[in-house]
Amino acid sequence: MDFSFSAEEEKFKQEVQELFISEEELSKAAKKEWNTGLGFGPNCWKILQKIGERGWLCPTWPKEYGGLGLSYMYRYIVVEQMHHFVDIYTTVGAGMAGPIILSHGTDEQKNKYLPPIARGEVEFVLGYTEPQAGSDLAALSIKAEDKGDYYLINGSKLFNTRAHYSQYHWLGARTAVIKPKYKGISLFIVDLKNTPGITISPIWSVGGTRTNEIFYDNVKIPKDSLVGEANRGFYYILEALDYERISTVAGLERDFKELVEYVKEKRKAGDPIIRQKLGGLAAEIESARLFALKVAWMLDNGRVPNYEAAMLKMKVAETEQNLVNTAMQIFGPYGQVQKGCRWAQFDGQFERFYRDSLENLITRGTSEIMRNIIAQRGLGMPRR
Amino acid sequence: MDFDLSESQNMLLDTAKKFLEKEAKGLARQVEKTDAGYSPELWQKIAELGWIGLVFPEQYGGIEGTFQDLVLLVEEMGKAVFPGPFTTTAISGLSILDHGNSSQKDAFIPALTDGELIISPALIKPDPLMNESIVHDQASMKNGKYLLSGTRLFVPFGHVAGRFIYEADTDKGKTLFLIDAGNPGIRCLPLDSIAGDKPCEVVLEGVEVSEEDIIGTPGKAEKIIKQINTRGALLESAYICGMLEQVLKMTVEYANEREQFGDKIGALQCIQHQCADMATDTDQVKFLTYEAAWKLSKGLPADKEVSMAKSWASDASRRVCLLGVKIHGGTGVMEEHDMQIYFRKAKAEELAFGDGDFHREIVATQLGL
Repeated sequence: MDFSFSAEEEKFKQEVQELFISEEELSKAAKKEWNTGLGFGPNCWKILQKIGERGWLCPTWPKEYGGLGLSYMYRYIVVEQMHHFVDIYTTVGAGMAGPIILSHGTDEQKNKYLPPIARGEVEFVLGYTEPQAGSDLAALSIKAEDKGDYYLINGSKLFNTRAHYSQYHWLGARTAVIKPKYKGISLFIVDLKNTPGITISPIWSVGGTRTNEIFYDNVKIPKDSLVGEANRGFYYILEALDYERISTVAGLERDFKELVEYVKEKRKAGDPIIRQKLGGLAAEIESARLFALKVAWMLDNGRVPNYEAAMLKMKVAETEQNLVNTAMQIFGPYGQVQKGCRWAQFDGQFERFYRDSLENLITRGTSEIMRNIIAQRGLGMPRR
Repeated sequence: MDFDLSESQNMLLDTAKKFLEKEAKGLARQVEKTDAGYSPELWQKIAELGWIGLVFPEQYGGIEGTFQDLVLLVEEMGKAVFPGPFTTTAISGLSILDHGNSSQKDAFIPALTDGELIISPALIKPDPLMNESIVHDQASMKNGKYLLSGTRLFVPFGHVAGRFIYEADTDKGKTLFLIDAGNPGIRCLPLDSIAGDKPCEVVLEGVEVSEEDIIGTPGKAEKIIKQINTRGALLESAYICGMLEQVLKMTVEYANEREQFGDKIGALQCIQHQCADMATDTDQVKFLTYEAAWKLSKGLPADKEVSMAKSWASDASRRVCLLGVKIHGGTGVMEEHDMQIYFRKAKAEELAFGDGDFHREIVATQLGL
């Protein structure tokens, strides 16, 4: 057993840190942009490209597609530092779409999409959720009809958050009406910038984050938009979820540290209730960090972290909730005051995080779905 | 990074699993009704297996394992709720190894690793607000010997200990003694307690102790006591971890068999989600414990990590066992079922070497608060 990074990993971590430190202004500007809830602005793209040009956005990918052929622990290290410095963990391209293209795409698709993803030049918006298909993803109904020399898409998507600044839609669509439902789903890449018939309309979350509804009205997309085999999309999605649940608590550790410093500064460190809460949070955050390390380590050792990844996802989201709630409690009535008001603590940062932290309990699989996975896959309890 | 066990650790655990499966099934329920509260026969057997000597040098009859090996073994014992003074004897022995002189090491450690000598830390002083002690603390000198009086509570397996680790405030300050339990001035009273694991009240009245029985430098007891408590807290976390793993296993097996309303209750999401929470809590205990053990084994500062582990373990111990009982329904409260033993033991382990609040306070201090 060993809970430390190797000397090479430690050196790599320092290199990554040095990039963000040398680009301090840019990192701060990117973080600020991201925390407006509007998604990637010019500074976000700029910092992503700085990370990408070093091969760090997709370090596990082969060199020919812009990666470095390194182990998952290196990806963990990059994600951790990105989380710490800019709050953006990863891109959908690097974390979810790319890995499926890499394992199931054609050579043309790999050459076309993977290098720009790795360079941080393009982003994909995840296109899974629909009004009637949330946790029950297999129920998705947006239709993709094979018309011989093109696919015809009709239907709508909901909560496709990165749509307003992404170049591509990573679209899960129904290609067969069949039982079981998951056997009729295919994955497509849709060029959002050059395809007529697509309407993106904004929805605002309680956390002030922009997400979107996307409507497809008789949209024609080329045949080579299909990723892998038709009707195998659901399998690819699940596979990618297992393998790409690299996550970190670096952002939480950073916010926690700031909170501890705040408590010291405001001379509240002697309050036994605050001491209890912060002592407990430290343990909770550390346990989530160890879950994250374990998942990265399992991936490197060829083991499938199916329930471990679910446990990690659930724990990180719930720990984040606990952290922001604790901060709000420590501030007392001052906690409710929003950004810009002179009574706001941390310029209202935690007030927004408190609202925004709801999203992580739901997106990428709700905590309840994660509990199903832990029970059924991890503990062998019956599926119905 | 490596979450795997070493080959020798796997071998150790393999033997431990087989042994405990064969010898310790139902043992906890049997021995709590006996005066000893553990099985002296099995104690000899685990000594022969090298378990008591696990972390001690070969020259004292040990097998030179690491503290991490010990943590893993204790976790296995926790699964079986293996009763006995194992962890407290191990940490007492380690304090002699680290701070004792060579004649103390020669005299006591081989006897300990052989299974002949049980040593118990008698370090908890009564809280005067809880009840009046009959004998109060006193330490004086007479003819070059110390005369010690005092009361210590919750001394693990004090009634079968051959020696106590005892702290007294002498003219040189707080000093640690290794006291012969057979001394006529010592009375030991096992207390009836929730887990039936014989925490004792130990009373010393004018006990004569020579300078040779001082561990470490006179006046420097606090550092050694802190080390005993740190190691104790981590081993408790490991024991709890094992208990919770077993409770989870028992509970899932039960839920997957038990039928109500024409279906397995394990197919119900309300049960599945509770089991998922039990599993998560248990894994949190496990990795926090492993990380702290790794740090201690490497000789790195680990106060924060140990307290994070024990704070989580203490509360998880209660949470997980409570869910276990609830999912077992009426079966979980039957005396003849093991579930209730884990539930009772969970409370005793939660309190031993500091509960959740106690350790969260340490974490807070470690955070600079």
